[in-house]
Amino acid sequence: MGASAIASAETGSHGASADFGHALAQRERRFAAALLAPAFLALLATTTFPLIFLVWTSTFRMNLAMPFMNGFVGFENYRVLLTDERFWSSLLISLVYTGATVALQVAIGLALALLVMDMKRGQGWFRLVAILPVVLSPAVVGMIWRTFMLAPDFGIVDFLAINAGLGSQNWLGDPTLAMVSVIAIHTWQWTPFAFMVLLASLASLPEDIYEAARLDRATAWQRFRRITLPLLRPAIVMVVIMRTMVALTAFAAIFTVTAGGPGTATEILNLYAYRKSFTELSIGYGAALAVALLFVTIIISGVLFVLRRAK
Amino acid sequence: MIGRGQVKFRDIVKMHGEFAALKGVNFDIEPGEFFALLGPSGSGKSTTLRILAGLDAPTAGHVFIDDKDVTSTDARDRDIAMVFQSYALYPHMTVAENIAFPLEMARLPKASIGPAVQDAARKVKIEHLLDRKPGQLSGGQQQRCALARAIVRKARLFLLDEPLSNLDAKLRLETRAELKKLQRSLGVTAVYVTHDQEEAMTLADRMAVFMAGEIQQVGTPAEVFTQPNSIDIAGFIGNPPMNLVPAHYTNGDIIVAGRRLKTAADLAGEREVIAGLRPSALRISPDGLNARVDLVEDLGDTAVLDLNCSGTTMRMRVGDHDVPREGDTICVTARPQDIHLFDPTTRKRL
Ligand SMILES: Nc1ncnc2c1ncn2[C@@H]1O[C@H](COP(=O)(O)OP(=O)(O)O)[C@@H](O)[C@H]1O
Ligand SMILES: [Mg+2]
Repeated sequence: MGASAIASAETGSHGASADFGHALAQRERRFAAALLAPAFLALLATTTFPLIFLVWTSTFRMNLAMPFMNGFVGFENYRVLLTDERFWSSLLISLVYTGATVALQVAIGLALALLVMDMKRGQGWFRLVAILPVVLSPAVVGMIWRTFMLAPDFGIVDFLAINAGLGSQNWLGDPTLAMVSVIAIHTWQWTPFAFMVLLASLASLPEDIYEAARLDRATAWQRFRRITLPLLRPAIVMVVIMRTMVALTAFAAIFTVTAGGPGTATEILNLYAYRKSFTELSIGYGAALAVALLFVTIIISGVLFVLRRAK
Repeated sequence: MIGRGQVKFRDIVKMHGEFAALKGVNFDIEPGEFFALLGPSGSGKSTTLRILAGLDAPTAGHVFIDDKDVTSTDARDRDIAMVFQSYALYPHMTVAENIAFPLEMARLPKASIGPAVQDAARKVKIEHLLDRKPGQLSGGQQQRCALARAIVRKARLFLLDEPLSNLDAKLRLETRAELKKLQRSLGVTAVYVTHDQEEAMTLADRMAVFMAGEIQQVGTPAEVFTQPNSIDIAGFIGNPPMNLVPAHYTNGDIIVAGRRLKTAADLAGEREVIAGLRPSALRISPDGLNARVDLVEDLGDTAVLDLNCSGTTMRMRVGDHDVPREGDTICVTARPQDIHLFDPTTRKRL
């Protein structure tokens, strides 16, 4: 009897404290909401609203050169887009550009990270120098490459090509070479990012398992394949996701180096949307292209995130 | 299997900059032996083991395995299995994959890997954990997994670096006994690093006692216990360790705290010595050293007394039937053969 009285008293006080905790939680939530509101509104105004406006615009015919034709057209822009050869080719160029730059960044970044891990001295300096390209503006990087590196005869790359017996090349004039050049520029600028992330991940791997693997008679290659790569996988996937997002929406460097040329050889989807909107002044169709790019980006990132979850 | 796993260390020196981690280490291990490297922390045991494994190179000296100089042979090619203190399990592989890894590296056919993994896992009683990742195992289970990975390949040498130090006391005792049985049944040469003298005493066929980068004594546990060849070893081995008291030696007798005790020594002349008396060798008798009991530590079946013999402190182990009380004054002595004599300057046994 006495015991049950105590027990019920306890549950009673328990219930009261739960109520109190509930009220507190509610008040805290309201306070948190108040704190968040300004940032949330700013975010709405700067990202969500333009996005909705973009989708809205893409349903209009809006051509600044022919304003008399403007008007709501529904999905007409998208219908045109699906049969637009220049759209498909720019999408292909975007995918090639993204695939090549991301693969190169990961491969070179990983190789550099492995090299630097084995460096006894000068690691700090190497990191400092390596990170420099990342802090430059892509537009500046584009200018540097166009003038110092790729200019015929005087550019460093062309100078090296001449000395290597390849002769002077028209780096930005030839369609294939121009594509190679813009891929190289993007890779040059952003590999340090992959390098830094993979180096940090590599440095956090325990050393003793490599000694265990040596005693288990694994060769250097087997240690890399069976231990380093699987353990770096999360970091590599992270780098791939982040770099893919950026490469799909790259703009400034290509714009300053080739502006999509020669012809449409380096015209990635982003650049095509820009050209359509602001050179040909076909704002409605340009918006539809931009929405298509958004769509592609969402699909690819979705696939990558699923891959990341998978074993 | 017989004749595999013989080890010789010859004048091994290991420098870390100016610091000498090993100062010329020599020892031999016979095939099939359970050999312990015992010493306090930082005395160079792990360094010795790593040099034997080929993970580190010695600054000078030579390592022989089965009479072949392997000093410059890579760890890969020494055919040695090791259990690390940290276990060093591959975190991204399951227990089964961890155990299978050495076999895959040895390019064993797939069909024979599965049974071998099962067999090794059964020997250390982790067959039910094969699908787990190391992160999902307790410390004791990880330790067993590391053990299974080491025994699955029939290496000629089996190295263990403080394998039990991360286990709780009860598990440590259980695993210790199993380890010894396992080594016997495999008939493999084992080198076992530990700072725990009890582990070394119970497991080892022979042991090397390390002090500050040097081996002070090599011998069976009984030899090292009954004939410690230096003051440092005498003060390290045994629990509680040997009492070491300054004494004056004259023709077979020593004078401690004003009392004369007979020894078994037959050195002529007079000199100052350090007398070593095991706590268990002291006994209560009508004549001997007068000692006041300062403290009684009752351990259940035995008790350890802190004695004060006119200024020098000694510890004594007594059975549970004749325990004096704190503050009592008793008279203690030791049999002549139980008194060890050491030189105070060279610190060696006389
Ligand atoms: N890489 C190193 N650099 C400098 N000193 C080291 C290094 N490795 C070990 N030592 C030193 O060598 C001594 C012996 O170490 P170790 O063999 O690990 O001792 P333990 O007997 O505890 O296993 C210690 O004093 C340790 O500090
Ligand atoms: Mg150690």
